[in-house]
Amino acid sequence: MPAIHKFSKTGNNKRNAENDGDFPMKRWLKNKRIKEDIQHKEWEQSFIKSKDFKKIFYYNQKTNVRFGLTFMATLVDENIIQEGILPNLLDEEFREIEDIKQLVPIADVQICDDPSLIEQKIMNGYVMLTIETELKHFGFIAAQKEIVRAISQPEVEFSVIGPKEAFVESLGQNLNLIRKRLPVKELIIEEFTLGSLSKTGVAMLYMENITNEDNVNTVRQRLTNVKFDAITDSSYIVQLISDNSNSPFPQLLDTERPDRVAGILAEGKVAIVVDGSPHVLITPTTLVEFFSSFEDYFLNYLLSSFFRLIRVFAVAFSILITPIYVAALSYHYELIPKDLMSTLITSRREIPLPPILEALFLELTIELLREAGARLPTKVGQTIGIVGGIVIGTASVEAGLTSNVLLIIVALAALASFTTPVYRMGNTIRLLRFPFLFFAELWGLLGIVFCFCLLLTHLVRLTSLGRPFLEPLYPPRVVDMKDALIRLPFEKQSKRPLFLRTKNPIRFSKKKAQEKKDIDE
Amino acid sequence: MQEQPIPDRLKISPFLVFYLIMSMQIGIGVLGYQRIIALKAGYDAWMSILFAGGCIHVIVWMMYKIGDTVDGDIVTAHKYIAGNFFGKVLSSIFIGYFTLYSLTVIRTFIEVIQVWMFPEMSTFWFAFGFMILCVYIIFGGFRTVVGLAFFGLVLPAYLLLTFGWAIKFANFYNLLPLLDHSIKELLTASYYMSLTFIGFEIILFFYPFIKEPKKSQKWAHLAVLTTTLIYTVLAIITFAYFAEEQLAKQIWATLAMWKIVEMPFVERFEYIGIANWNLIILPNVCISVWIASRLIKRIMNVRQKIGVFFIVGAVLVLINFLDTREKINMLNDYIGKMGFAFTFIYIPMLFAAVMIAKKVKKKKGKKR
Repeated sequence: MPAIHKFSKTGNNKRNAENDGDFPMKRWLKNKRIKEDIQHKEWEQSFIKSKDFKKIFYYNQKTNVRFGLTFMATLVDENIIQEGILPNLLDEEFREIEDIKQLVPIADVQICDDPSLIEQKIMNGYVMLTIETELKHFGFIAAQKEIVRAISQPEVEFSVIGPKEAFVESLGQNLNLIRKRLPVKELIIEEFTLGSLSKTGVAMLYMENITNEDNVNTVRQRLTNVKFDAITDSSYIVQLISDNSNSPFPQLLDTERPDRVAGILAEGKVAIVVDGSPHVLITPTTLVEFFSSFEDYFLNYLLSSFFRLIRVFAVAFSILITPIYVAALSYHYELIPKDLMSTLITSRREIPLPPILEALFLELTIELLREAGARLPTKVGQTIGIVGGIVIGTASVEAGLTSNVLLIIVALAALASFTTPVYRMGNTIRLLRFPFLFFAELWGLLGIVFCFCLLLTHLVRLTSLGRPFLEPLYPPRVVDMKDALIRLPFEKQSKRPLFLRTKNPIRFSKKKAQEKKDIDE
Repeated sequence: MQEQPIPDRLKISPFLVFYLIMSMQIGIGVLGYQRIIALKAGYDAWMSILFAGGCIHVIVWMMYKIGDTVDGDIVTAHKYIAGNFFGKVLSSIFIGYFTLYSLTVIRTFIEVIQVWMFPEMSTFWFAFGFMILCVYIIFGGFRTVVGLAFFGLVLPAYLLLTFGWAIKFANFYNLLPLLDHSIKELLTASYYMSLTFIGFEIILFFYPFIKEPKKSQKWAHLAVLTTTLIYTVLAIITFAYFAEEQLAKQIWATLAMWKIVEMPFVERFEYIGIANWNLIILPNVCISVWIASRLIKRIMNVRQKIGVFFIVGAVLVLINFLDTREKINMLNDYIGKMGFAFTFIYIPMLFAAVMIAKKVKKKKGKKR
């Protein structure tokens, strides 16, 4: 095997022209070829400026055909060129461009004659092959350098029970993780290239025989309509294809668990995988889905129903408790029973601030801690948490800035907001507390209910992919309640969610699955 | 002008009619109807509630018959019997009715707030906030309005349980002796009860928005039945809880009963109750504003959004003139009488007219 190859410099126009002269051809043909040559050179102009652009010429040892390889050194795997492409092209009998399909032992080899494809292919990590005798045709050989992070444990959606695989940043790897779990031909993967600069590969996944076609068409339509230059993560897609981009609520669910994606595909939803993002999007989704962790499906239904209810309660608590404190202490002293009142008065006796300022002060402190903790490296973040939680908390109570009752309330509210299994929803809940605080200060309990009405209206109006976001609460669908705030056992889940309008609503035949047994049989 | 059919995606499922009617019926009246009927028929008045409820079923049946015959709402029905121009004149009366209705509801609610919670609260600014919320809801379309009606009924449903505290202190011998009032007295009480019941007449206005209207009829009847039962049970509890002379002094008997509710963490439950009532009042106002703006759209051929702003503006201007208890009372009486005239007199007349018109048109059709 020839270890050293002859490298010649890029842009060797003169020798090309000389070769043309040698060739006994009519003058018009020659002119035409030169014209095409110039066209080739136009696309090269900006490439040449980059250091990693390589154009190298070789001679085949048997036929003496001169061919060139053009590629971006940063995108291709040099091992593939050295071992898979070059030895075969140099040593075997190589006459015309069609031969590479036999000679090169790589699956993805294409031959085309459209010069407009050149840039895209080279930028996707292909090696372009040209032969001086066939300047019209180009061969493209896939030689992408794949740098893939090893599959690790899910960090955001960790679960004690169940699979520990999480998505990584590679589209191919992620698709593999999903396909492995649904090895049927009905799982369709459609691919799009989005972003005028980033050329991000985006895949849409659905089950051909289950998913409602309207949903698939809507997603396809929205994806093709995306107008943006650089899409670097799936969060961009979330914001670009949401029904209402002015809403603080996420209208697409993102997950890093392949098992969850496989689960929802089987339910008849659509998944969107974005290259370079370890989060896969799920749509259409509903509010209650944000309160369900995929671990719920690994536990007994009684336990998981209980946990789900706890989460809903926690969220309501987290949003409402501080506003209720403010409302009760600003306006409705009468609401609080005598014994509880004395506790509250003792704790608030020396506080100079009105309840709203006290609450805002503590809420903002918690938000600051959270934001600082999220931006700092893990170890420093932990220190900040301790410093903030213990030192600032205790100190502000001792200094008489806040009452310790409120400190407990705010800390509990912050804790409760972490119970949401989906991180995005936790962020929304952080924000929601502040309008409630404002209205509580304005109109007391009435203001809280008023703000709740506003929130409710917003949720009723919200849609995910045109499907109501509050389903199955509104429009009320009793059959879909089986997997909403509570989760019934799998035997009861014989039908797919009604609101997805699936093509095949039956998951399994209930009659066959359930044989009724009498006592002692 | 050809009527535009309502697209299917904007229509509501038949069973939602249940929530729509109930949430429209249960509103501000529940807070204090017990005193009024007890003044007329004493503690036999609960029978009057059942009687009034029974009558309403007949009216509901008539409304469905009208809707079915003309295949549309009241505007279509008016056109059916009186032609295009006079039909529109007849229909436009109801713009005023529903505007006044929403005005009455919101002003009375603010009155309750001012008496029980915040004596200093500005009528205009609260109404302003409330109306912005309504506009936000109505701009979401009819489905959003129905959604709020649904939650406005389901979420505060727990309030029913709180009357359990009153049962602890109830004396059901208060109701005895039965039937010591004349039929006339009972009927008068029924008449006053009907003011609390009105709200079910909205069927005539949203009829074209129901997916399968015929299937919804049973839900409408069920809604009226449920409301009747709730009112009756609540009245019986109230009668058992208060002595007759005591009740005569309670303008808002329902609220007064909450005073007895006692929990380890809540002392004066009526604050929570009134705050929650915001959610019950909201569909009342929203539905009536929606109907009024829809009528404007149907009659004058303008966009519904303009109609909504017009109604909301009118309510916000008019509410400033209602500054005393007497005026609010007068408005309540007035709207009650209008409601009674509309539901129990006008609808049967309309029903008869539609039936006659149907026969006449059939004959004409045969002659041709």
